[in-house]
Parts: sequence; structure tokens; C-alpha cells
Amino acid sequence: MEFRYIGKKIPRKDAEAKVTGTLKYTYDLEVPGMLIGRIVRSPYAFADIRRIDVSEAVRMGAVVITPDDVPQKPYNPRLVSVHEVTFKDTYILTYKPRYLGEPVAAVAAPSEELAQKAAESIKIEFERIYKPILDPFEAMKPGTPKIHEKIMRGYEWIEVENNIAARLEYDEGDVKRGFEEADIVIERTFKTGKRYHMQLEPKAVLVIPEPGGKLTIYTTTQSIHNTRILISQLFDIPESRVNVVRVPIGGSFGSSIQTNYLVPIAVALALKAKRPVKIAYTREEDILDHSNFVFYFKIKVGARKDGVFTAAEFINILDVGAHQIQPYPLLGTSLGWFVSMYKWKNIRYRGIAVYTNKVPGCAMRGYGAPEVQWAVETLVDEIAEKLEVDPIELRLKNYVGRGDIFWGQGPTVKSVIRSDGVPELLLKGRELIGWDKRGHPREKKGRFRRGIGVGRGFHTSGAGGPISGEIIDYTGCILKLNEDGTLDYITALQDHGGGTLDAHVKIIAEELGVPPELINIVTASTETTPYDVCTHASRGTYVGGECARRAAQIVKQKILEIALRIINKAVNPDALKIGYDEELKQSIVYVEGTSIKIPLAEIARTAWQRSWGTIGAFVTYRATSAPPSFTVYFVEVEVDTWTGKVRPLRVIAGADVGTPINPDMIEGQLHGGFVMAWGMAFTENTRYDPVTGEIMGRGLITDYKIPTAADVPAPEEFTVIIANTYEPTGPFGAKGFGEAATNPAVAAILNALYNAIGVRFYELPVTPDKIIEALRERGELEW
Amino acid sequence: MRVKFTLNGQPVELDIDPRETLINTLRLRLRVKSVKRGCERGECGACTVLVNGNPVVSCILLTIQVDGAEVTTVEGLRGDMLFEKLVKSFIENSAVQCGFCTPGILLTVYAGIKQGRIKSTDDAKEYIGNLCRCTGYVKIIEAVTRVSREVWS
Repeated sequence: MEFRYIGKKIPRKDAEAKVTGTLKYTYDLEVPGMLIGRIVRSPYAFADIRRIDVSEAVRMGAVVITPDDVPQKPYNPRLVSVHEVTFKDTYILTYKPRYLGEPVAAVAAPSEELAQKAAESIKIEFERIYKPILDPFEAMKPGTPKIHEKIMRGYEWIEVENNIAARLEYDEGDVKRGFEEADIVIERTFKTGKRYHMQLEPKAVLVIPEPGGKLTIYTTTQSIHNTRILISQLFDIPESRVNVVRVPIGGSFGSSIQTNYLVPIAVALALKAKRPVKIAYTREEDILDHSNFVFYFKIKVGARKDGVFTAAEFINILDVGAHQIQPYPLLGTSLGWFVSMYKWKNIRYRGIAVYTNKVPGCAMRGYGAPEVQWAVETLVDEIAEKLEVDPIELRLKNYVGRGDIFWGQGPTVKSVIRSDGVPELLLKGRELIGWDKRGHPREKKGRFRRGIGVGRGFHTSGAGGPISGEIIDYTGCILKLNEDGTLDYITALQDHGGGTLDAHVKIIAEELGVPPELINIVTASTETTPYDVCTHASRGTYVGGECARRAAQIVKQKILEIALRIINKAVNPDALKIGYDEELKQSIVYVEGTSIKIPLAEIARTAWQRSWGTIGAFVTYRATSAPPSFTVYFVEVEVDTWTGKVRPLRVIAGADVGTPINPDMIEGQLHGGFVMAWGMAFTENTRYDPVTGEIMGRGLITDYKIPTAADVPAPEEFTVIIANTYEPTGPFGAKGFGEAATNPAVAAILNALYNAIGVRFYELPVTPDKIIEALRERGELEW
Repeated sequence: MRVKFTLNGQPVELDIDPRETLINTLRLRLRVKSVKRGCERGECGACTVLVNGNPVVSCILLTIQVDGAEVTTVEGLRGDMLFEKLVKSFIENSAVQCGFCTPGILLTVYAGIKQGRIKSTDDAKEYIGNLCRCTGYVKIIEAVTRVSREVWS
């Protein structure tokens, strides 16, 4: 298909403001009379507080809140699931901290310095300090103290048993028979690190109490609407009196799908102070606000000699930390990612989410897919080696592809796969990387050893489907033609940096036949936009983009109707077209084969001057599918066997995104996704002191190493290939991509590491000491 | 304590606490919001400014240390030929995603190219110490190299 704007490189609208530093993020905002808030946090990982003495802070003139000043109702900061499966166990401020750093009080004062002094003056008297429970297996043992006694599931109180936060089980076919039919059975356990998102902008919020009891909130969020609903529910304020404004966000990677803990705290402070309150986390506080879950997998897979899989068993233990930020749907997606990788035929799944006294785990780019795909792609390579078949052939034989059922976001989100670029990407990548010459680890000697690996995976595009499940997924938008022929596009979706809203603009431009410059992305807030669940699940382009396209379609129809009225001749409506006139340098409505043409600006002006009304559309949309975007990575690494350092030499990143709306942004996602996976593979983990339960290094990022520019492959060694596919359910054939870009990269990296040194690692991150140790154990090191 | 320096060519004279960091002076007193606070530990580089032309992280620098110095932020480089080339190159190469690290990176690479420390791709990779979590640095390195090659060829 020939497109005018889609697939073309068009600079993003906010680029100049970002490059020149004029774009304002939440933490840049200031209003007159604003107070600065600071949070007082528990210095213990698990304790009972007897008393909080705030007298000194009050004497200093600070506004102070303790658990007594805030609504004491349990909540879940993430509202993506339906109410019946939303588990609520968090309090705005608490007398029973369950992780080191949990907010127990807060202050607000006219300056940061005063606020800090007031916060430091608050004395917490502890009733009892418990030994932190940091290991989920220990947490589950009968007799281990309960981190939570009672929590709410929907509107019901439930008892917590053995620190189990949530469970999900699933069985399909006959696993026992499946394993009996297998010629080989492999079982492995895997463990991931507890990664931190390390988005560059620490979380921030500004709450402004308006006259008449209304609140205006600016915050780092992926969902302005869910933030409004949560604040409304927590403080019993009607939603119409809470307005959450969309602000540019300095990266997120899933860390603001939930409303970050500082938002309700700032609301409580602002309500008490009756003045605007701003809170901006320090980096150390940000690490205490959110990190990923820790995944423990035990996976058993059976295969026949002919390379056909016969059964799989998947035990998934999630360490969720001290509070639930919806790990229940993650139990579902983990299963969904697993069953959508390969046709296992017979499946047994046991998912258990367990409380520990750690920072609450939340979604992080991929929502379990990088972890599951790492484990599965490791096993598939091991099976291939045992069966002595080519790993690429084995993948092609068993993968879930076109025509198969894809589970999207778990058992309640199923759809049929209609576009599939896997064979194309695997075969092209194989060629480009020189797969057949990669050699066997046995043959590799010397200090520096090179290896090539593959990883195949996917991510869903949103969580839509033919039937509504446990996950809420719909969006909405408004598109209107202004009186001069420009357009305003109004949506609640957020752009975390990936260019989501620019993609929408191109989609509208394409549908309408007007250049993107004419389309304005309007400042959005909850009171001016229809509901959108959240910019997550790689749904921005696929779901939001289709909604925008539908709005453009309606606007186009209305423009043509007005044009017909202006032309006032018996024109066949089907002969009316919108296009860009190169001579007039503007968009026009014209009748093919005639001299009739009216500039769009004239149509808009005429409709205004003659009081014909505004041309516009209001659309609310739920996708009926959640198609997978497939990703295939081929990676070549070099291992220094003396130091254990690994470096990436070459990357072939293959993307099946359907129609690429903006190929530049797709490349950007792959670059960023690969580098994030590199950190996951080799460095990133927040480790906890076993005695105190504190993040080691006190959460300073000096001790949390993400890759730098020096660690990444040279641009000329990073090749992107985009599959030639078209997704019939997406806007102009497009699918989502933010998460797919990272998901199977870890698997490819670690399969390449194996190909270099012949060692497999089942625990992340694979730090240099682990590599050295493994080589030493094999007697491979000279000293 | 009295401190005098120039900010983007304009003289600044302040009476400040000697413990105040430059980032706070810039952001809170002088309202220069392009200087971003990412970590306050001198790790991430989001708060980079130029002091006498050299890139420095302003979060671990005391304001009294810039007494008598020239302090430059991206606002002060508008119109500068090398800077505008970098701006154009970053925009055209899609080297910008969330944008939070971008002003700091621009200042770092501006100094690097101007001082002849960034001439090649490898130089750019080694010289950019600033952290970015979105782009994987690839397009940043490309955007920088495109300008450095033009300047130093």
C-alpha cells in the first residue's frame, strides 16, 4: 500500500522543545504559594509503630500528616484489572511498615530545606521490630509471620494464608501422558534479579486545591484517568472534582502504570494545608517506590525425537514485595507469554504470588515476557542441542504463529494471530549474522571468545479481545476541525518518549489526507478527554491509533458533507476526495476529473461563518484483538574469559510490527530495548541486606549500573530489519511495539554467551564473577 | 556568601549559603529548568552545565565554586552554530525520546566536539558519560558523530 505520511520519517512534534530544554516535566512546575512535601519513611523493613511524634515539625511551622490524618482504607495503586480481581493492601500512610522505606508520615513547608528539616525532626517510636522476610519460599512456610493478616479482594475482606498474595492455576490436556510420549524431558529452574526501572525522571506530583474543593493534579503517570479514579475513591471526592492533567514524562517503562505512592500523600497534604503541594522524589526515594518483581520459574518440557513438543509444566513463583501492584494479572500474563511461545500441547501451570518485605514489585517493560522468553528460549536451545537439530528449525516447527490462538494478556484475553513475520525474520537474521558459521563452544579457545545466539519472542498489542475479560481495555478520543482548517486531536494517552502521539498524528494525517503539521496534539486532562485505561501493554499505537483513525474517518465524512453543501451541485458524493494540492500547498476537497476544488481552510471557515456547526468526532474504542508483535534477535558477543566482561559485537534486530508508522521510532525502541535487556542480563539487580532488609548501597544509583554509551554496539553494527507484514485489525496494518522491542533480547544475549563459552546461567544478572567462577569450575582458567 | 559568575553571558550576583549546590541555584533561584535533576549523586549527567566551557555535573558542585566563572546552559547556546547543528542532528536522527537527559547530553557533546575530544564514533561512545534509558544511545551516537565528522573532517 502506498502511504503519504505513514512509514515516512517525520520529526516528532516535541523534539525541539526537548532538545532545547524548554519542555516542562512535572518536577519543573511551580505555582505561587506552593509548599514542598517530603515523605517520612520507615527505617525498618517490618515493624509496628507505637507513636509518631510530630511536635517538633509542627513547631517549625510545617504541615504534617500521619496515618491518623489520611483515610485508612486499603487500596491498590493500579486500576487496570476489574474490581473483583483487584487486591487491596496498601495504605496512604501506615503504622505497620512492611518494607524499608514505606511512607509513615509526611510534611509540607515553603522550601525544600525546611521540609527536609521538618521531616528529619519527626520521631518514630516502634512497638516491635520484626526480622524481615525476604525470601518468598521462607515466606510461604507455615509458621512464618504474616506480612499481611487481611486484605481486600474487590469489596470483600480476605484472610492471607502463608503470605500468598494471589494464585492462578491452569491445566490443559494430559501432561502426564505428554511427558510419557516424550523422548527427552528437560527441567530447569530460573531466577531473575529485582530490576529497577531507572527512568531518568524521578516521580513527582503537584496538587493544587482549587476554589470549591476541587483538585488539580499534575503527575508522572501513564494513566491520568486511573489516577483520577483512585484519588476520587480514596478521598471520597466526586471524579468531577478531581482533574488530572497530562504532563510530559521523563520515561516510565511501566513504573507509572500505577498511581505512584506520592500522589495520594501529596493530595492529603494539600487538603490539610489548603495550599498547592509539590513532592519530587530523590533518586533514592524513587528506588524505594517501585522496582520489578522477582521471578522464580521451574519449567519442564518434553519433546519427541522428531522435534515436536509434547508437554510443558510451568511453576511460577513471584516475589511481589510488600504490597500488591496487581501481581494477579501478571500470573495470567506469565502463563499467556508461556503458552503463546510454542505449541506445548499439554500444559500444567501453577502461579503463586508471594509477599516479602521488599519494595513493592510493579510492571516493567514486557510485564514478565522478557523473563518468560529468556527461560523458554534457553530451554528450546537446550532441546535443540540434545536432539541435534538446528535451533532455528526447532523454533519454526513449534512456534505459535499465523492462524493459532494467541493469549495476549493471559487466559481472559485471547485472539487469532493474523499477521506473522517470524519465518521471514528468522531466515533473514540467520543469513545476516552468519549463523551457520557460528561454531560450537567446544571449538572456542583463548582469552577472547565469540558467540552467536538467537532469541525469538513477542509482545501483545494491548489487552483487547472479542470478549471483555478481567483486564479493562478501551480508549477514546476527540478530533475537531478548527475554524482555519487546522485540527485539534484530544486524547488521554501518554507519550513516554516512544512517540505514541506522533504516531496518532500520522494516522490521522493519512486517513484525512492532510499534512501532520496541521494536526495539533492538545494538552489533555481527565475533564477534557474520554476515558483511556492506560498507556501500557504496547497499546498506544495499536489501540489509540485505531481510535484516532476512526475519528479521522468520521471527520473526513463530515468535511465532505460540508464541501458538498458549498459546491451546491449534483456531485456524486463518492467522487469527492480529500488530498494535498502541491500547487496551492494546502489540503483541498476536489472532484476527480473536474476543476472543482475547495481548500480545507475555506470549508472550515465557511462552516463557521454560516453557523453550520463544528466538524468533529468523539470516538470510544475497544480493540477486538490483541495481536502479537514478533521480535527476533540475533546477537554476537565477545567474552573476556580473564575478566568475565562481555561486550556486544553485532546485533540483528528483527521486528514484525505490521506497518511501521514511524520506522525511526521502531529502530529507537529496538536500540533502547536491546540495551535495557543487556542491563538485565549482566548488571541490574537491587540486592537486599539479609539482616536489615535494606537495599544494599542504600539505593544509590552508584550501585545500580545501567549500560552507558560505552557498553553498546557501534551504530553500524546494529542492524534493524522490519518484516513485511500487515495486521488487518490495526490502524493501516500497524501493531504495538514498545515492549516487544526488548522481550526476547535477553534470551538472544545469553544464548550467544553460551555459544561463546559453553556455560548456561539460570540466575540473572550474570555478573563477571559468575562467569569467572563457572570457567574456573570447569578448570578452564589458567590460575 | 557573595558569589559572582556569568550565566549564559549575563552577570549574576547572589548572596547564598555556601552549602548550596549549583543545580539548586540554577533551578530554584534563577529558574533555569533545562538543568534536570536525575540523581543528585553526579552519576546520571542530566544536570550537566558548562563551566568555562567544560561539562560539569551541577548537582555535586557548590555554587561558590563557580565564583568568577562562565556558566552555560542550553538556553545560552541558542544561535551558536555548533549547537544548532547538534539540535538539528538530534531532531533529524530521532535521537530524542523522553527528552529528560537530552539537554545534559547536548552540553556534554557540544564541549566534546568543540574541544576536539569527540571526532569519531568511538570517541562519542567513550565521551558521553550521561545516562539515557530510552534510546540505547545508538541514535545519539549517530547524531553526534554526524556533526563531529562534519566539524573535524
